Amino acid sequence: MGESVFALLFKYRPVLFQRGELAFSTPWPLVLLAAAGAVVAVVAYVRLRGGLPPRHRALLGALRLAALLVVLFALTRPTLVVPTVVPQQNFLGILIDDSRSMRIADRTGQPRGAFVADAFGDDGALRAALARQFQLRFFRFAGGTERVGRLEEIGFTGTETHVGQALDRVRQDLSAVPLAGIVLVTDGADHAGDALGESVHQLRAAGVPVYAVGVGEERIDRDIEIARVETPRTVLEGSSLVVEVLVTQTGYRGKTVRLDVEDAGRIVASQAVRLPADGEAATVRVQFTAAEAGVRRFQFRILPEAGERVTENNMREALVVVDERRNKILYFEGEPRFEVKFIRRAVAGDPNLQVVVFQRTAENKFLRLDVDHPEELAAGFPKTREELFGYRGVVLGSIEASYFTHDQLRMLAEFVRDRGGGLLVLGGRRALGEGGYAGTPLADAVPIELERLGDGAAGEFFQELRVELTPVGRLHPATQIAPTLDSSAARWARVPPLSSVNRVTGVKPGASTLLVGRNGGRSDASVVLAYQRYGRGRALAFPVQDSWLWQMHADVPLDDQTHETFWRQLLRWLVSYVPDPVTATTSADRVAPGAPVVLSAAVADSAYAGVNGAAVIARVVPPSGVEADVSLEWNVAEDGAYRGRFVAAEEGLHRVTVTARRGGTLLGSHTTFFEAGDPNTEYFGATMRRPALERVAEETGGRFYRAQDVAALPEDVRFTESGATVFERHDLWNMPIVLLLLMGLVTAEWSLRRARGLA
Amino acid sequence: MPLAAGLAGAAVVLSATHPARPGAPARVPPAATADAEDPPALGRAFYFTRAIYSSGFGGRRFASWRTDYPKADIQFLIGLRHLTVIDAYEREHPVRLDDPELRRYPFLYAVEVGYMALTDAEVRGLRDYLLAGGFLVVDDFWGTTEWRTFEREIRRVLPGRPIVEIPLDHPLLHAFYDIRELRQVPNVYLGRAGGRTWERDGFVPALLGIFDDDERLLVAINWNTDLGDAWEWAEDPFYPLPLANFAYQLGVNLIVYGMSH
Repeated sequence: MGESVFALLFKYRPVLFQRGELAFSTPWPLVLLAAAGAVVAVVAYVRLRGGLPPRHRALLGALRLAALLVVLFALTRPTLVVPTVVPQQNFLGILIDDSRSMRIADRTGQPRGAFVADAFGDDGALRAALARQFQLRFFRFAGGTERVGRLEEIGFTGTETHVGQALDRVRQDLSAVPLAGIVLVTDGADHAGDALGESVHQLRAAGVPVYAVGVGEERIDRDIEIARVETPRTVLEGSSLVVEVLVTQTGYRGKTVRLDVEDAGRIVASQAVRLPADGEAATVRVQFTAAEAGVRRFQFRILPEAGERVTENNMREALVVVDERRNKILYFEGEPRFEVKFIRRAVAGDPNLQVVVFQRTAENKFLRLDVDHPEELAAGFPKTREELFGYRGVVLGSIEASYFTHDQLRMLAEFVRDRGGGLLVLGGRRALGEGGYAGTPLADAVPIELERLGDGAAGEFFQELRVELTPVGRLHPATQIAPTLDSSAARWARVPPLSSVNRVTGVKPGASTLLVGRNGGRSDASVVLAYQRYGRGRALAFPVQDSWLWQMHADVPLDDQTHETFWRQLLRWLVSYVPDPVTATTSADRVAPGAPVVLSAAVADSAYAGVNGAAVIARVVPPSGVEADVSLEWNVAEDGAYRGRFVAAEEGLHRVTVTARRGGTLLGSHTTFFEAGDPNTEYFGATMRRPALERVAEETGGRFYRAQDVAALPEDVRFTESGATVFERHDLWNMPIVLLLLMGLVTAEWSLRRARGLA
Repeated sequence: MPLAAGLAGAAVVLSATHPARPGAPARVPPAATADAEDPPALGRAFYFTRAIYSSGFGGRRFASWRTDYPKADIQFLIGLRHLTVIDAYEREHPVRLDDPELRRYPFLYAVEVGYMALTDAEVRGLRDYLLAGGFLVVDDFWGTTEWRTFEREIRRVLPGRPIVEIPLDHPLLHAFYDIRELRQVPNVYLGRAGGRTWERDGFVPALLGIFDDDERLLVAINWNTDLGDAWEWAEDPFYPLPLANFAYQLGVNLIVYGMSH
């Protein structure tokens, strides 16, 4: 609309003014003559007397001057000089999205791909118009890009869209011919995850404009989409997971739907979701248990609603490795306490947890429980990093800081920060501030503020705390003690009070509080459970001394599992993400067959110092069992980081076992997984991405069109400096706007003169 | 620390508060006042909790829960605090079996169980206590008659659970001290006399146990032995020191084990 009005007034479409340059071709004497006439006219008004106020004289003079300037402009014969392609001497790359999202039917009921047949088919008007000026070269693109001879070859079956890669390919393929531009026909959904910036920069440098044709709607009117699922990559068998699921929708605001989580076809959790306003996202947290070991494909699904336009985006999969490894945790207790008995009792049946207890029973007398061999801890608390870092978690009970050497305290901090281990500090008369930890090397790792207390502070303080779940704790996996979030919160509301002998003033900045406790009617709450990340690891503080009351208290039914579940969950979470000396990762959980996957490994020695120059081999085992070894190379930018690429030739689950050796010594090995198959990403975020396409077009000097406005494209493409061009001259003196302006100014002057009695 | 030194320390402390002479009876407060003690200090790691329970009166005059109470408890606690780093409450701490507060104290000591006659509420209270995770140590009952009474009562509490011998290689006997043999600890009169150590037909001391389905020890049974008297009279120069030592050793082991297993 705006463009056609512009063309009516200015004779030409805006694109000519954008691309062209203004030139004048009138002889100077004529211009001077006209200028002299203008001066005379203005002076005549200035000299005019007759009672006309100066303000009106100035206005009349200005109107006349403006009218004469318009005449003067026309007399100068203004011309627009526009570079224009030479017909049939230039090539135009037509790049058509061949991905499955082009099959989505929009509001018209027509699939997006129908536009391609209409516009570029044998009878297509757009194709005909372009073919009059250019040699056309068609390409299709999805995961890869290839030249096509006939449009029938485009079946819209691609499972990915890599726009940047496709633009690069066309630019390179047509670099030997005069390329006038690239017409990009797509819905703009790019799943490559790469920035388009580099491709756009190259096109701009090469002077190749991109004319982007966006097909599809910018907003799908009726759709529910599971936009994102956040799962941990590895969990311990039997652990509770709290998974965040992001649900977006249009057209079903306020409706309640059910989100199901399936594991091998079995529903393991179900959660009601009240859908948010159109275009907004609802974050749903769903809890379930990773009951079976191995690689699990969890499916998150919302059943399609009536009238939903895209149903393929109602389901997402997540690959989770459910680990059955036994995690060794060292629990150092400075005095006999019932916490030891009941924590051991709680985790006794847990195959994933081994709590090794090292308990001081008298001065210089220790009880060792559940050690692997008679020498373990026989010489006391570990004195070397190798010994301490062999554990995945450390629990410190009521043990004073002065028991440790300065190096042992530093080593404990490094256990969390560098080794990535989990640290849990419990309350007690010799623990935390009362234990003299303030100002020690370990103090930074502890998530609560530690006070410097004088000697004899222990035993002075006691408070009973009724425990409450915080909003963060309600959703945190470490504090899930029942099958669902709601039932867990309900159970927390019933747990008996605990006691604390530690003054806790607050948590460190960046720490999260999961449980608080209130003493009687006091409004201020004490921290009962808090955690923070510290370097590569995580540290928890549980500054109470008798969680065993959750098992023993008379209000707790005998069959209640709160205490057991709490300790299992807490300790599992503490050690769930603790790295091994060798850790393997893949760049994606799921890749399309033929697409590369980056295999990475972090390699460290037993003291968790990064090892460079190791021989690191990734053995990839596809479903057929035909193994392939990929040598991973050290990335000089980072100690202990290795990387390699693998292209999956077959579909299915691939097992990747990375083994690192140094000088023939095995440093360690680690196994991870990825899946080669349909990434199913095309239906997610399936609206037309206008902003991205506009940016590509603008930055390359092209233009963006919606599919329905594409008629102007053939003419626009003509005016380019790319390829073989000539300069066309277009007169501007006879633009309708010139005549209208002149008439308007003269009429205004006449009307004013008449009103003042001068005419 | 050598046990003898610990006991010597205990004796010194006791001599200041209990100017006992050989043969003098323990200064035991009337049982009626036991429940009216000041409430114990809160927040301690360990309370030596003595079970208050109902007894029949078919035999001995003082055959009830309060035998040796509270001197044995207090004196043993002095030793326990001296020998270990346990943050133990220093005073006696009796609790009724049918009191819900019992569940706050996971270690429980009961004596003269050969004359137990539990009420139904006490049976329920003790059963729930043990199944929740409590640990009961019984002591000072002798011979087959008293055994039968105890067995009858404990079967009411834990029906169907066998009573088995705790072998010498059991962790309980090595939790703090390495105990390689069970010794019979006599009552104070027999101990001072220096002759026989047995009472009735309880000739051989036994350490027996009742375990749950997960092999966790619920009840430790000291039969044909009297640890409590040895604790009570440890400072008595006429009471055999090796037997007092043994009683302390087993007592400490029972507590360290009970707080960690």
